[in-house]
Amino acid sequence: MIVLQLVVNGVLLGGTYILLAQGLNLVFGVMGIVNLAHGAIITLAGLFTYWFATQTHQSPLLLIPAVFIAMLAIGAVLQRLLLEPLAKLGGKGELLNLMVTFGLSYVIVETALNFFGSQYVSLPDLQTTWPVGGLAFNEALVAAGAFGALISGCLHIWLHYTASGQALLATSQNPTGAVTCGIDVRRMRGIAFALGTALAATAGVLLILILPLSAPTADTLTILSFVIVALGGLGDYRGAVMAALLLGLVQSAVGYYLGGDVEVVVPYLLLITFMVVRPQGLGQATR
Amino acid sequence: MVAGFGDLTILHDVSLDVAVGKVTVLLGANGAGKTTLFRAITGLLPPRAGRIALFGEPIAGRAPHLIARAGIGHVPSGRELFPRMPVGVHLDLGARLCPPELRATLRERVLGLFPEIAERLNQYAGTLSGGEQQMVAIARALMTNPRVLLLDEPSAGLAPKVVLSVFQALAKLQDQGMSVLLAEQSMTFGLSVASRAYIIREGRIVLSGTPAELAAERSVVQAYLGA
Repeated sequence: MIVLQLVVNGVLLGGTYILLAQGLNLVFGVMGIVNLAHGAIITLAGLFTYWFATQTHQSPLLLIPAVFIAMLAIGAVLQRLLLEPLAKLGGKGELLNLMVTFGLSYVIVETALNFFGSQYVSLPDLQTTWPVGGLAFNEALVAAGAFGALISGCLHIWLHYTASGQALLATSQNPTGAVTCGIDVRRMRGIAFALGTALAATAGVLLILILPLSAPTADTLTILSFVIVALGGLGDYRGAVMAALLLGLVQSAVGYYLGGDVEVVVPYLLLITFMVVRPQGLGQATR
Repeated sequence: MVAGFGDLTILHDVSLDVAVGKVTVLLGANGAGKTTLFRAITGLLPPRAGRIALFGEPIAGRAPHLIARAGIGHVPSGRELFPRMPVGVHLDLGARLCPPELRATLRERVLGLFPEIAERLNQYAGTLSGGEQQMVAIARALMTNPRVLLLDEPSAGLAPKVVLSVFQALAKLQDQGMSVLLAEQSMTFGLSVASRAYIIREGRIVLSGTPAELAAERSVVQAYLGA
């Protein structure tokens, strides 16, 4: 029974990780850059949700559509102003991209510190645990996992079965080839970053229900998301789903049998193991 | 036209015409500037100076996706396929530029030209052989319903037998009235399909003429091609 419960916890945790990583993965896949501000966006959205819920006493889930749409717009503007000028530089722009997104992360974290302070906060919403057949399902984890699955499902359908999604997928696999089909690669970069930002913020709204967040959590979340993206094969979104589930399962088992201290290093140990054994990641990756 | 990267000028005053409904071949050795010329025409490397006109309409300086939309079909060197997307989706992506009412007919014609890939529509492009990948690259460009087709060394890295079938398809395209600019290293293959040929060397057009004229000066051409 305990094994089953660990599997349930692991899958639900994995679902949350999918939510965390998918935005970063999309940005990397299409733009070839690691968005170091990813964790800061998640954290800022989480802290904003905390503020909203404590001020208005409304369910934080109500925020999701508004946050998603607002962050689509903000992401598009940020990409156009900060990152697009670097895209022309090609390989030379890589370091500059890292510096710009790192700077952005710093600005967001400092702003969050000013507005929300440095204390860790968490929302007590959705803390019911449902007993199903002797197993316990935490409501917040189920909500996050369900959103992770929903978002990955939508991404899959969009990328494979719609014209605009196929154009984005084509750009991520081969920008030159995409241009020959008349695809505006610049626009695709904008869409990818806007979506990546919106997905990160959505993850933040849900994460505040699961983990205590504070402005400095940003870096940990960026690193954790990057580990999942790297395990999945850098830009391969199906690989990222597998990586998130694997990480969730291993972490929940290790946490139970070996304790919390070992649990926190699991992502990094997994990453190192993969770099040695299967450097292309879990996906089908042929980049 | 003049083009280059940074301080480096690759193409010096290159000028050429692609005849309507004919295959024009650009012969040159490795590094002669064929791919650079194609990248300049398609806007991937905007030219420093000069004029590029498509049926009289100036296109130099436009963004590359707009040049594709204007009707320049580009089969780039290295094919530039989407390795983890099915062959059929490559055709769909090309067809984005084709008026919807023409898509079905065009698809039929393109698949008729390359029956080899008609059986592989659901297969990922990355799993195809080199020859099949080349056919997918040409098919994708044809699906854009181009007014001019630019083919950058479709024979590169292919076995002679496969090259032959690619060139047979090219001859059929010419029969269908497609205007083609073909870059090629091999004089024999290049002249076999072309109605006019240009020889490029170190970024300059050094010789041009009909295949018959150039065949008469075979040794000169061979010397320019470094063979």
